[in-house]
Amino acid sequence: MLCPQIGGDVQNITIDAVVVDTTVPALSGLGTEPGLLLASRGDTLDTRVVVRFDSLPATFIPKGDTARPITSVDSAYVQFILDTLSIKGAEPVTIEAYDVDTTANDTSTAALLSLFRPDRFISSQTFARAELTDTLKYFISDSAVLAKIQSSTRLRIGLRATGPGSSQMRIISSEGGFPPEMFFRATPDTTTKPLTVSLLSKTPIGESILAANLIDYTVIAKGPPPAPPSVLAVGGLPARRVYILFNIPSNIIDSSTVVRATLLLNQLPNMAIDPTDTVFVLPQIVLAGKAVTDPAKAAQIIGGITVDTLKLKPGGSGSTNVELASAFTLWHTQKPDTLPRAIVLKSVIEGNSPLELRFSSSEDVVALRPRLRISYTSKVPLGLP
Amino acid sequence: MRKPYFVATVFVTISFASRIEAQGALSLQGLGYPAGGFSARAEGTGGGIADFDAFSSVSPAALAGVGSSALFLQYSPEFRRVTTASGSANTTTARFPLIEGVLPIGESWTLGLSSSTFLDRSSETNLKRAQIVGGPTDTVSLTERNKVLGAIDDFRLGLAWSTSPAFRIGVGAHAFAGSNRITFSQLFPDSAKFISSAQAGRISYAGFAGSLGIEWHPSRVIGFALSGRKGGDLRAQSGDTAIGSGRLPDHYSASATFEGIPGATVSARVAHDNWSSLNSLSSPGIQAFDGWDTGAGLEASGPRILQRIITLRAGARFRTLPFGLNGEKVSEKSFAAGFGAPLTRDRASLDVAIQRASRSAGTDIKERGFILSIGLRVSP
Repeated sequence: MLCPQIGGDVQNITIDAVVVDTTVPALSGLGTEPGLLLASRGDTLDTRVVVRFDSLPATFIPKGDTARPITSVDSAYVQFILDTLSIKGAEPVTIEAYDVDTTANDTSTAALLSLFRPDRFISSQTFARAELTDTLKYFISDSAVLAKIQSSTRLRIGLRATGPGSSQMRIISSEGGFPPEMFFRATPDTTTKPLTVSLLSKTPIGESILAANLIDYTVIAKGPPPAPPSVLAVGGLPARRVYILFNIPSNIIDSSTVVRATLLLNQLPNMAIDPTDTVFVLPQIVLAGKAVTDPAKAAQIIGGITVDTLKLKPGGSGSTNVELASAFTLWHTQKPDTLPRAIVLKSVIEGNSPLELRFSSSEDVVALRPRLRISYTSKVPLGLP
Repeated sequence: MRKPYFVATVFVTISFASRIEAQGALSLQGLGYPAGGFSARAEGTGGGIADFDAFSSVSPAALAGVGSSALFLQYSPEFRRVTTASGSANTTTARFPLIEGVLPIGESWTLGLSSSTFLDRSSETNLKRAQIVGGPTDTVSLTERNKVLGAIDDFRLGLAWSTSPAFRIGVGAHAFAGSNRITFSQLFPDSAKFISSAQAGRISYAGFAGSLGIEWHPSRVIGFALSGRKGGDLRAQSGDTAIGSGRLPDHYSASATFEGIPGATVSARVAHDNWSSLNSLSSPGIQAFDGWDTGAGLEASGPRILQRIITLRAGARFRTLPFGLNGEKVSEKSFAAGFGAPLTRDRASLDVAIQRASRSAGTDIKERGFILSIGLRVSP
């Protein structure tokens, strides 16, 4: 009685507001992913890892002496940092190293894969599952490293996982903050400090940013089958995103107070690989203005709206809610020309996982199409008591 | 008057901390609570002596009795408990209800400028209710918070004339002004799913009135006072838009004092306020009632402490508050006690009063409040 209700009831409406919904590639660029996926999953997935040491030291300084040319290499290894939570497969895994230095196109998958052949073989090392800890020392052929030093050529190593069973692991990349490094001794004298070689790529010439990305990257030899074109897909390899453009009645955005907005999706099961694993999906708001008309390009110009991720399993199915309240807060302040009413759904570990979520698109039957449910209140006149 | 800056500065300087917060209450219906314009001295006597008190913003004739120029400040926090069938809530409302300056001009004239709280609407209510937001099964707890800060203040310029203590007369010109800042929020529990919203508004008030007061002491032991205020239009506007208007309530009062008991003053007062003239400034569900305000009290010389004679006071008051609840009048009974002490060779004085007020509206809602008033007079 003393505290009467002032605001009206919340109105809930569900509308077919989707104008465009499509799957677009995650054009983040080769080598920009924070992890390097090394996987051998039979006929389903085969990914390789390339690390580039384009500059090798030619001299070293023995303890208490002056610089002299390197004439021997001892105990050469590359140190990787593993995401141990990403490791799959209980059986031993053999990691083979190949010389993948080539004058062919830097980013040509076909050219690179052709170099994983016996005459390019450098070395291999087998690890039991228990040996795959967060720091992995991968020993490579000393003679191969010495030959590269003495010939003043680049050392570009391609890694491939093999073994009796499936295996998969994620190596933290330079973008992830822990770049692989190579260590070796230039003398058997253990009192002399080992040399450290950092990743470096000198190609493509004149494109320093791209070259920096290519110091370590993943090559997809075989990926899971892509989703049908009529299906919306998030994640997978190569990574994809979902772009959705809405047409929302302006009176709702401008004149009402939206208290909740939910994108209603129908998930389709994808049993291709690890259907019970969890994928974290992050809705993002599209920041590209009306000048960017291509959804594939607009889907790259995005911003975060929430820290709350959506957790889904690829094998799951049925209705799924994506909360978009924060997007409406921004849309309320900007006109559609400046800030289109569009969002992107992307995987949190985009490009680092073969897991792919699939959803019904607007090409599906009416009941399964994406829809938008908006809950709003009308403004209250703050007048006389 | 709501927290004038210089008063606030003074009180902060001397380390008075206050919390401005309130819940819905019987006394805060409509345009708010009438603080009354009584000084701590007058409150201590149940208002009985208000028409004779220069520092109560009631009768302009009383200004003539001040004797010397003075500045008066008052702080009056209220500690309130509202009890309903579903529970109770304790709140505090800090008020600075009165500031006044008095300046004698020559032998016969006295000028006074005061600012007093006319209707204080400061309050905050929280209402929790279940609300479906989203799907049919998505029921969440929605909290509605309505916060109002501000008051309508009475600024009075008074002029009194007196050539002898037997007769005093005064006139006052009143400007009523103030604003209510309203913030309405709807708060949801999960910020990842829901957007809490807030709306803000401001209502400004402006109006004028005139007052007249007469004080007559036919003998040394008896005194009478009459005063009246004739209200003009009171307009309300939001931004540049007029949203309503009404008449400031006419106010009439009559008082008597008896000083036949050595060292003591017995006083009584009756007043009438035509609050219903404000009905047009309220929503249809809010009703203002004309009301009587009666009070009586005793002021007597008390013990001598630190070579100062302490004045003791006690009184009782009964009045009808302006705005009702659900069509029922809200009445207020209060009992008061207090004291006054001269300071610095009578160049200043401190008056303290405590009132216990009970309010009811014929429902199961009860309200109890303790109002502590501290008034400080300084004569430069």
